[in-house]
Parts: sequence; C-alpha cells; structure tokens
Amino acid sequence: MSVEPFNKLVKLAARAFYDDITTKGDNQPKTGRSDNRGIAVVVLDALTRRQWVREEDLAKDLKLHSKQLRRTLRFFEEEKLVTRDHRKETAKGAKIYSAAVAATADGQPFGKEGEEKIKLHTHSYCCLDYAQIYDVIRYRIHRMKKKLKDELDNRNTIQEYICPKCDKRYNALDALRLVSEEDGNFRCESCNGELRAESDKFAAQEGGDGDDNARKRRREKLKSMLQNMETQLKPLMSQLDRVKDLAVPEFGTLQAWEARASAAGRAVNGDSSSNDPSKSSQVGYGGTPMPFLGDTKLYCDWVLNQAIFGLRLSNKAGLLSNAIMVEVAFAGAEGKEVDVKSDAATSLKVLPPWMIKQGMNLTKEQRGEVEQESKMDGSSATGGLSDDKKSTVEDDKKSLQARAMR
Amino acid sequence: MFFHIVLERNMQLHPRHFGRNLREHLVTKLMKDVEGTCSGRHGFVVAITGVDSIGKGLIRDGTGFVTFPVKYQCVVFRPFKGEILEAVVTMVNKMGFFAEAGPVQIFVSNHLIPDDMEFQSGDMPNYTTSDGSVKIQKDSEVRLKIIGTRVDATEIFCIGTIKDDFLGVINDPTTL
Repeated sequence: MSVEPFNKLVKLAARAFYDDITTKGDNQPKTGRSDNRGIAVVVLDALTRRQWVREEDLAKDLKLHSKQLRRTLRFFEEEKLVTRDHRKETAKGAKIYSAAVAATADGQPFGKEGEEKIKLHTHSYCCLDYAQIYDVIRYRIHRMKKKLKDELDNRNTIQEYICPKCDKRYNALDALRLVSEEDGNFRCESCNGELRAESDKFAAQEGGDGDDNARKRRREKLKSMLQNMETQLKPLMSQLDRVKDLAVPEFGTLQAWEARASAAGRAVNGDSSSNDPSKSSQVGYGGTPMPFLGDTKLYCDWVLNQAIFGLRLSNKAGLLSNAIMVEVAFAGAEGKEVDVKSDAATSLKVLPPWMIKQGMNLTKEQRGEVEQESKMDGSSATGGLSDDKKSTVEDDKKSLQARAMR
Repeated sequence: MFFHIVLERNMQLHPRHFGRNLREHLVTKLMKDVEGTCSGRHGFVVAITGVDSIGKGLIRDGTGFVTFPVKYQCVVFRPFKGEILEAVVTMVNKMGFFAEAGPVQIFVSNHLIPDDMEFQSGDMPNYTTSDGSVKIQKDSEVRLKIIGTRVDATEIFCIGTIKDDFLGVINDPTTL
C-alpha cells in the first residue's frame, strides 16, 4: 500500500484548488494579520504525513490555534477531503490512541502513565480520505471542463432575438408566435421587422452593433481559459492518471485503525530483540506522539508553517531537540526486560492517589526493598509508602529497577 | 412524461339531458370538454380512463343547469426540462426548426443544432451536414432534449436541443 503517489496528489490538489482559501468568516475585517490564506495547504500537507491524528496534537504541531485548525478541518470535511471522528474519551481511550500512535511510529507501545486524566473530554480526530479525495478531484476537474465547454458551444442556452428596428427583445420561448405566415421567418410583433438572432448574453450587453465581434472575442477568451486550465492542471491530471490503478490507502475508521495499529505494533514488538533506548523514544514535540507513514523522519511543522517547504530532520536530530525525560519500554508481555532512562524530575513525580491500583502482585519483601531503595535515593515520593496498600505504578517501576539491580 | 392521475371537475349539465342517460351524457361531455386541453399544472390531458365518482348535483338558480362534481382518472402528458423526447419536424426555417411530440410544440434554434449542419433554403428548407448524410427537413423524426419550457395557464411550449450525444435525426422520411 503505497501512500506516496496519493500524497503527491493531495499536495498538488491543495496547491491547485485550496491555495487562496480563507476560512475566516465574512463578517470579520480583512486585515493583513488575519489573512490566513495558504493555511489550507499547510494543513493538508501536514495531514499527508499522518494517518489518524488528534486535532489538538495537530494544532500543536502546526503552531496553530486549535479553533483556527478546526475551522479549516471543517471546511475540508465539507469538501470531502477529510474524515473526522469525535468521541468522548477517558484517559484510557486516549491511551489506546497513544498506543496506536506509538505502534505506527516504531512498533512499540509505551506507557505515559503520568499524563492520564480522569475527566471525559471530547476529542476530535481527523484523517485524509484518499479514496474520496481521488473522486473529488476528478469530479471537480470534470465540472470545470464541462462548464467551460458548455459555454463554448453555447449549449443549453436560450437563444435571444432582437428587432433591429424597435430594439424589442424576444427569446426562443416566444418562437411560436413570432413565426410569420408569409416566409416562415421571425417577425417583430409590434413593427413586423425581421428579427435577428442575438448570439449570446455577453454580446447583448455590449449592444447590438458588432455582436459577431463580441461573440468571437468571448469565444477566444473561453478558449484561452480552457487552454490555461489544461496546462496548469496538467501535473495534477497526470498524477491522477498515475494513481488510477493503484490500491488506495485505506485507514478505516478511527477505532479500526487504532486496533490494527496497536495489533501491528504488538506483532512487531513480540519478535524484536533490539530494545535500545534511542530507538524506542518516539515522543514528539512536547511529549506528543506523532504517527508517521512508513519512514520515521520527523518534519518540523512549525517551519512549514512559515514557509511551506519543510525542513527535514532526522530522527535522532529530532530527539536531541526534544527533551525526553523517561522512556519505559516493556518488551515482553510480562514486562521483565526493562529499559529505564530516568531523569530526576520525572521519577520524583508524586502520583495522585487515584493512580494507585489495588491488587498489584507485589510481595511484602519487594515492598520493603522499594522502601529501602527509595530512602537511599532520597526520593520525596516515598512519603506515603508506609501504607501497604499504596502500591503505585511508580512502585512497580522501582521494584523492577530494584530487581534489575539485583 | 406521462402520468396517470385523478382529477376533479365541476360539470354543468343542461336540463334537457336529465333522464335515464344522464350519466352517459355527463361522461361524454366530460371527455369532450377535458381531453386535449392543457393546464399548466398537470400538462396535456391525453385521455380519460375512468370516472371514479359523480357527486350530488346542484341546481343553479335562474338557469336550471345542474352542477355535478366529477372525479375522473386520466392520462396526462407533461414535458420537463432535461427530458428526452422523440418528435416530428413540422417546419424548418433559418432560425431553426419546430417539432411536435404529440400535443407539445418544440422549437430548436439554429445554435442548438450541431455546428456541422447548415441551413439550406429552397423549396424544402432543411439542415444538412456537409457530406449530406444527415438531413433535417419537414416530417423528419428527431430525438431532442428539452432545455426550457414555457408553461402558461393553458399552454406549454418547449425549446429543445439536438447538440448532444445520441440526439438528432432518428428516421429520415426520404429513405423510407
């Protein structure tokens, strides 16, 4: 399933049709500052590098206000380029998405336990609908061509007639009562002058005189317009041809995609022996995970935001620019193999009480060890650990650490 | 397009028809009055296929005429914009040609005739292609598309085009 030709199609179409689209309401004054033309292109380009993406994350990546992004996305939804999904979700739902994202990123699920929220939030997700985009673009081009061609052949227009003597106008619907008995020609009802055909409305506006010239001029204008369109849309049309017989990349609905992505991630994870931390780190800007299509190159979207052409950073360079605090990667299902790259700030984070789950299979002995060790570390998070029931996720982490040390 | 619909009409009957054949007289008069008329709303009434009900008659003061409300089924024909029709050419002139599809008159102006057909005046005015293979003259049968209708209270007039795929002469009288 190759996405690249389709992405090229989207990019070409974005530049051809959505270059000067402004999503501002009409009531707002048009100042230089609020002029957001070109934003459509930026958003579409960013979407070609993602699959399903949470709109907040996208907004953050593009350094856009989420409202502004939403407006643009709604526009694209109406244009049938983008499918969107809205759902109320708990932290758990968000986790499924994060896991799926991580899976597409590098085939490794990771836990971001500290970021969970208990409240329900409505999150919106969006994704390009390649199959529909292909149809939409084709239909649009077809309509444009048809409209120009119809006008060029004067198709489906009602002929108008004019009396050269008294300038009275008729149209073809009056034809029946205009026909004269003697010669079968059309004659004016009031002055009986012979009517002349008015070729088209454009000519009519310019006055009766020289309507042949006007008609010719109009035809030439239409013809050049059609030609211009052909030449300007040529790259787009050739891309459409190229894409015609390819399998369309299909991401399915958000749920299906998540399920598939995380399943794929698990499959990759199951047999992977390489667990080096540099590879497992896939946290994007501000800890936001980003899914990538195939390659793991990070694109700097904020650079894109200023100049449409992106700056490409390698994965590692991207990593350097991001301050990644902790990365815990569970290799197997049992979570025996652990890679901890700990930073004081995160490991010391006090977990709220709701994070503490019951029924964690930690022995008393282990707990004791944890307590000791945390005392050695001088961690401030150990204050509550005297309580036996308070076995937190962090406990778990530390116990594992302890086991590794042993 | 043809429709089979139920219509209603108040019939006035002269007192001389009162008697055993009142009903027959009423139906005959209905057919005479209604068939072939045109209303802007329903189109041309082609034929009455049955009388559903005849209501109670009401004698009008002063005249002695009786008004019966009559419900009847009929076939109507109403042309629509975009509809494809087959029609017979009735008149050709340099502005275009007129054709008839049943009761409907259709005018096809010369800019809606394909560009390769030229007007030939003479005894039998016609539109002919340069190679003479296709000819539109009186009594030719053409398939055309309606692109505009003018609907008055009592008449319908259409303009059509033959400048599209699969439109044009379908039967030439000279080759018959």
